[in-house]
Amino acid sequence: MRSHISRTDDDVSTYTRTTWTARSTLLVPALLGGLLLVYVAVPFVAFLARTGTADVLARLAGPQAQVAIRNSLLTATTSTTVATVLGVPLAYVLARRSFPGKRLLEGLIILPLVLPPVVAGAMLLTAFGRFTPIGATAYAVGIELTGSFIGIVLAQTFVAAPFVVVTARAGFGAIDERLERASRSLGYTAFGTFRHVALPLARGTILAGVTLTFARAMGEFGATYMVASNPRTMPTRIWVDFINGGIDAVVPVGLALLAVTLAVLAVVQRVGRVPTVIDR
Amino acid sequence: MTLEVADLTHRYGDELALEDVSFEVDAGEIVGLLGPSGCGKTTTVQAIAGHVNPTTGEIHLRGEDITADPPERRDVGVVFQEPTLFPHLTVAENVAYGLRPAGVDPDERAAIVDHYLELVSLSEQREAMPAALSGGQKRRVELARALAPQPDVLLLDEPLSALDRGLRDRLREEIARIQRETGVTTLYVTHDQETAMALSDRLVVMSDGQVAGVGEPRELYESPPTPFVASFLGRSTRLPVTPPGDPGLTLERRALAGDGGTPVDANVTCLARPGDITLLDSGQAENAHTLIGVVDRVTDLGTRYEAVLTLDAGGDLTVETQSAPPEPGELACCTIDRTDLLLFEESSGRVGPVC
Repeated sequence: MRSHISRTDDDVSTYTRTTWTARSTLLVPALLGGLLLVYVAVPFVAFLARTGTADVLARLAGPQAQVAIRNSLLTATTSTTVATVLGVPLAYVLARRSFPGKRLLEGLIILPLVLPPVVAGAMLLTAFGRFTPIGATAYAVGIELTGSFIGIVLAQTFVAAPFVVVTARAGFGAIDERLERASRSLGYTAFGTFRHVALPLARGTILAGVTLTFARAMGEFGATYMVASNPRTMPTRIWVDFINGGIDAVVPVGLALLAVTLAVLAVVQRVGRVPTVIDR
Repeated sequence: MTLEVADLTHRYGDELALEDVSFEVDAGEIVGLLGPSGCGKTTTVQAIAGHVNPTTGEIHLRGEDITADPPERRDVGVVFQEPTLFPHLTVAENVAYGLRPAGVDPDERAAIVDHYLELVSLSEQREAMPAALSGGQKRRVELARALAPQPDVLLLDEPLSALDRGLRDRLREEIARIQRETGVTTLYVTHDQETAMALSDRLVVMSDGQVAGVGEPRELYESPPTPFVASFLGRSTRLPVTPPGDPGLTLERRALAGDGGTPVDANVTCLARPGDITLLDSGQAENAHTLIGVVDRVTDLGTRYEAVLTLDAGGDLTVETQSAPPEPGELACCTIDRTDLLLFEESSGRVGPVC
């Protein structure tokens, strides 16, 4: 402790005093927060304690798990691509223009974030189900919007797209508009400016948004189960395994999903700049 | 002429930001656009650059109407008030940024970048990122970046206002040199009259969204067309004007109504430069052309004193003097050569010096 050092330097004593004051002020919030941290950590420890390495690997190598993993990777990649290709331009418009009804649009785009996924699934079924006008039309030309690969992508995109829109929007919003004016005055069109200035400068934030979207799509269960419980993805596989085999049956695929989540977290922390979820 | 701004009017909602602004910039000329903050200078520049669509009015560049063109089709170089270097590009890449759309052959770009970096004395910093540059260096890179595509006109929007004084003065010199060497037609926007007078071939003084005066700096300073120009280009202090027949002070009566002078009425504004007013020793106080007042406060500015007098006739008068003025609270007399008076009739503008 500083106080034991026999120096009468004013700086040192001031430093020591403020440190002590700071400590005692933060004591109560630190205790409360610590409780929450413990609560969050316990399930991780408990879950990991269930794993016997050999069994997990063997189960993951099984055909059912392999199909689920492949389906999840394919659908999540597709829905993340769709969400990014359509969501990043939307984010740019929202960051750069104000127009009547903008608040409403912004509310709409974050709605899936707070909407219970199972409700989202029900809504998707009412819009694109087999016997709705859209669903029936698609079916007539041979495209199944539910109970299919496309159905999974629809559900995942609906639920996960807001992440990339909200994050990219904050990233674009943080770019000084004068940089874009300078680019225009140097001869670049609005699109050229977007490509050479806005996109590279918001790259980190957009990447973080894309990663979060991917993670959300990988983990999507509620809406997916409503719209397309088959083919199985990792989350629907986990549910089916749980119903049939109890908690221990869930561990292998559950661990695989946890690994994906950790990888995503690492990427996001690496590229940094994750804005708050709703940044106005 | 290279640039012609004709009857530019702009409204932000209900607010009139520009009203019938017209001026011209000739080829190779450097014109200072001068005025206080909020007078519409930046709106004017943004309209010329194409970042603001004026409500009415036209902008011509080399005889061509460009009012409806987007910024990228205008050949207008801009250096903004705040630094706008692209943070993800090196100094050299920043300078090269405008060369591709300008249609410069890829093989020639490096040589052009070298040339302009040399012009602003930053060849050493070629590979540096903008974040590693000092404030003055950033400004110079921006200047090089704006000049590299060889624009028809260069707009400098208060490029030095965020810098400290010493740096500002050095960069001002440098901008003057670069403008001379490149001969680029330049519109220099500033609220600093010293910078404007030092740099400009001609000045456009703006006030409240309108052009208050156009002319060569010296000419505008010596015979300002409006009271606003008189008080903005160099300082001026207002002298009380007494209607004829009123037993006023000697100075006003003689100077304004004297032989051959303008007939005086209450609508005349009379201004004088603080440096043109002479404080008199108490012995000379009886002299004809005098103003009498009590010294209110004295500021010692090192090279000179500045005294504010509360005049017997009402109003305050600022006087500059080399020798120590009387203490606050004491009586002081001063005089001004009538040829130094600046007279304005409030309705019709300038009346002219009375001499």
